[in-house]
Amino acid sequence: MVTREDVENIALLSKLFVPEEELDGLTKSMQEIIDFADAINNAPVSAEGFDNINNLSNVFREDEVVESYPVAEILKNAPEQAEDHFLVRNRE
Amino acid sequence: MKYELVSGFETHIELSTKTKIFCGCTTQFGGEPNTHCCPVCIGLPGTLPVLNKEVVRFAIKAGLAVHGKIAEVAKMDRKNYCYPDLAKAYQISQLYAPLIIGGYIELSNGRKIRLHHIHIEEDAGKLIHRHGDTYVDYNRGGVPLIEIVSEPDIRSIDEAKEYVERLQQVMRWVGISDCKMQEGSMRCDVNISVRPEGTEAFGTRTEIKNMNSITNIARAMEYEYERQVDLIESGGKVVQETLRFDDVTGTTSSMRSKEDAHDYRYFRDPDLVTINIPREEVEQLKAEMPELPADKFERYVDDYEIPEKDAALLTKYRRISEYFDEAIDGVKSPKTVSNFIIGQMFRRLETEADKEVFDVAVSPAQLNELVKLLDSGKIRNNLAKSTLEKMLDSGKGALEFISESDMGGIDENALLELCKAAVEGNPKAVEDYKSGKAKAIKALVGNVMKNSRGKADAMAAEAKIAELINNM
Amino acid sequence: MGLINDIHQKLINKEISCTELTKSYLEEIEKSNDALNAYVCVTGDEALKTAEAVDKKLASGEELGLLEGVPMALKDNMSTNGISTTCCSKILTGYKPIFDATVWEILKSQNAVMLGKTNMDEFAMGSSCETSYFGGAMNPFDINHVAGGSSGGAASAVGGNIAAYGLGSDTGGSIRQPASFCGVVGLKPTYGAVSRYGLIAYASSLDQIGPITKSVEDASIVFDAIAKPDKRDSTCLGAKGGETYPKLNNDIKGMKIGIAREYLDGVRDDVKEAVLDAAKVYESMGAQIVYFDLPILKFALPVYYIIACAEASSNLGRYDGIRYGFKAERYTGTHDMICRTRSEGFGEEVKRRILLGTYVLSAGYYDAYYKKATDLRGTIIKAFNDAFERCDVILAPTVPMTAFEKGHATSDPIETYLTDICTVPVNIAGLPGVSIPCGFNAKGMPIGMQLIGKSFDEATILNAAYKYQQAAPEKFTDTKWGVKL
Repeated sequence: MVTREDVENIALLSKLFVPEEELDGLTKSMQEIIDFADAINNAPVSAEGFDNINNLSNVFREDEVVESYPVAEILKNAPEQAEDHFLVRNRE
Repeated sequence: MKYELVSGFETHIELSTKTKIFCGCTTQFGGEPNTHCCPVCIGLPGTLPVLNKEVVRFAIKAGLAVHGKIAEVAKMDRKNYCYPDLAKAYQISQLYAPLIIGGYIELSNGRKIRLHHIHIEEDAGKLIHRHGDTYVDYNRGGVPLIEIVSEPDIRSIDEAKEYVERLQQVMRWVGISDCKMQEGSMRCDVNISVRPEGTEAFGTRTEIKNMNSITNIARAMEYEYERQVDLIESGGKVVQETLRFDDVTGTTSSMRSKEDAHDYRYFRDPDLVTINIPREEVEQLKAEMPELPADKFERYVDDYEIPEKDAALLTKYRRISEYFDEAIDGVKSPKTVSNFIIGQMFRRLETEADKEVFDVAVSPAQLNELVKLLDSGKIRNNLAKSTLEKMLDSGKGALEFISESDMGGIDENALLELCKAAVEGNPKAVEDYKSGKAKAIKALVGNVMKNSRGKADAMAAEAKIAELINNM
Repeated sequence: MGLINDIHQKLINKEISCTELTKSYLEEIEKSNDALNAYVCVTGDEALKTAEAVDKKLASGEELGLLEGVPMALKDNMSTNGISTTCCSKILTGYKPIFDATVWEILKSQNAVMLGKTNMDEFAMGSSCETSYFGGAMNPFDINHVAGGSSGGAASAVGGNIAAYGLGSDTGGSIRQPASFCGVVGLKPTYGAVSRYGLIAYASSLDQIGPITKSVEDASIVFDAIAKPDKRDSTCLGAKGGETYPKLNNDIKGMKIGIAREYLDGVRDDVKEAVLDAAKVYESMGAQIVYFDLPILKFALPVYYIIACAEASSNLGRYDGIRYGFKAERYTGTHDMICRTRSEGFGEEVKRRILLGTYVLSAGYYDAYYKKATDLRGTIIKAFNDAFERCDVILAPTVPMTAFEKGHATSDPIETYLTDICTVPVNIAGLPGVSIPCGFNAKGMPIGMQLIGKSFDEATILNAAYKYQQAAPEKFTDTKWGVKL
């Protein structure tokens, strides 16, 4: 059973605001999707289990330094920046 | 009622690999902001992690250093939480299948602090808060960490301090981290609870986050212990929560806010594949491991009869003990070597950092040569000491400062000759001695010393003279 | 039978210069993009620059690679250095990557002429392309119908002849479904055949890049070019099965083509009929049709949505307004900034999937949903492996229906999710699947069928697809739009 509190909690975890007036509708829609997902409860699971698609293991890089990017490139897409830092300005 | 302290530690240690855990950026400490960054470690969309092999090797070494079990299969998981210093909004870590399972740290009181596991993960970037603005630097983001999670086996603040020191010692020893708490390359989260002495059940614990010095760990634990005891005594209840320690006021306070609901939603990271650790690789790493400090300590005390206090100093840093091991080769008394190191050499190494580097002008072979001169009786202790000072000043060997005649003076035969001459040339003193004036022998010794120009061993001379007179 | 080869021949025979060719594509984009809405960003200057380089090579008599100078398009979730890459989301507006996706790096090095970035459902979440921040891409067969999704723009551009080929990405059908709707060929390669580096993730264990083309031959050419191992993607092995092109025309006599009855459940009659007709075509070529059951398939859709949403909720956590993209104007403090940025920046479907994914991973639900779904994933893989003991390829409808009318996509999420029922099993099992046209419905809208193969056996499904195209070329019809060579 998906509750309003569940939705509020997962919204907080997801860093999303759900306006009060949408909460009931969203709870209902989440419940429907979860009911749909519940179908798997009855599914038979074979013993194999699942690790990763091609059962890959031990893919590594060597510990060799690669030149970093210039700071101007790193900050190129930053909505706000100052003194070579990404910036979240206080807007209170 | 008396209360017992119960504590467990989660210790983060930055590994000193050359590059970050999932990209080729340098792990160097400091650097101008955001200059040790690339698309991967600032989490640009579409980038993918590739695991640094050396991180796995270092973690295995850490595991071997604490007698942990090296997993045959390990996996990487995502720990999801959204915070500006975490570029991907998840930290790649290990929950379901960590690299190392179990292990322990043994304290000097004989107690073993058991470890739950050790896992590898990535460090977060750094936030600077100024006037309410937040500045983000991702240089540290993606630096490899191991997290060493202990069981709640620590029972006192002294044990806690020693636990941290031992971890620091052994991790530096095996060369996987510099463990500099002041630079943040070693940080502790301290879990702490109290219970009435003699009871078994654990009390409710609190967790003090991100402690960065042993002094502060002790202060925070002391404060938190008192706070919890006071709370219980006054009928209150300890609330399980995360705390921060204010080192100015010396108090802890809650970090909780409505904003961080904590549910990390761990799941297997689909971008990284399984890690299989072949046993041959573990065996090879085991073979490459240096003798561990605890084992060395035991050997020094048991085999070389070095006092525990001195053995602890010799094994605090790997270089000192390696120096010592080289310098004692073939000497009669390793303790003499130890005394020279702890006495004269340590005096020149003021800081802990200096001791750790142990950069001294005299090579272990040179010290070994000096001690062997002493062993053979060719020089006396005083001369050895003053010679060592000259060697430490100059980096030159002992023979640069000790002449043939210096050594000749204390040769067994020469001493005998000098003693014979003294006895023969001073019949009066010999008579006085014979008639019971024990002090009279001092004059004869003085004569030997004078004629050897102070190079003879006074005690050896006295014994020899007494022998000569008694045999007359 | 392939457009890429046609263009290549025309270029090396100097029937047309690469610059002229590129200009004609750019002009046609100009003319038709208002209607098709296939491109969300056109990179004319860069395209002409590459064309010029190709012309210089031609002039100096140098040999040209097959893909050299061929005008193409990339889905807008593939990173292009210095060129806007938005995933058709408000939250990535203004974002210009500082590196190239591996697929683009490969094609760029072969002088592929990129015309622009194509439309898609926001973060590849959708089946109609209508969740795009820029509005949906339209179907070149009838612009009152959607192009499908999520790679709707690429399918529309290729179907509308305003790109010779496009690269799409397929998480639960996002290459095959729009290819089916737009009457073109779409190949979803084996998971791990093509590098995901630079592909903006929706669901990392399901996402795979592949070509959308006019012909099977072209799909083979593009696949062979991009299926390379990549040191930057730990899960990428490249084309382990070798090149597909040399095997395209292999005889398929005796090939066992399997039909799992579950794939036909709930499929519209016209679609079912077209697929079964195709089976007859195969029989006439000497292939053997084998029927069997794959009952586990009925769990594929919930398994897909649980895994995809779980991974998406994690992958999309990083859009916080700090490092790139959109950032909310008004806020109080960092937490509030992040929440507002995400709430304003993501569309409804994306938010819904993030919430669902967060739910199935959260404490108390992980075992019942996420864990169970991944366990079932193993079961589904096993079921496919067993099926491939009995056949060489599996034939199935791509979508249970044809392209829906514009705005007709239902507001009921589950009904929408059901359109993916035939495509998601392949992603869950990491298998290759190719969708090719196999007929038209009464209104003349294309019907697609898919051929599913064993892991890294793209060669066999492309071989079977190629043979079908040769036998039934009338199913591969052109539209009125775009460049006519």
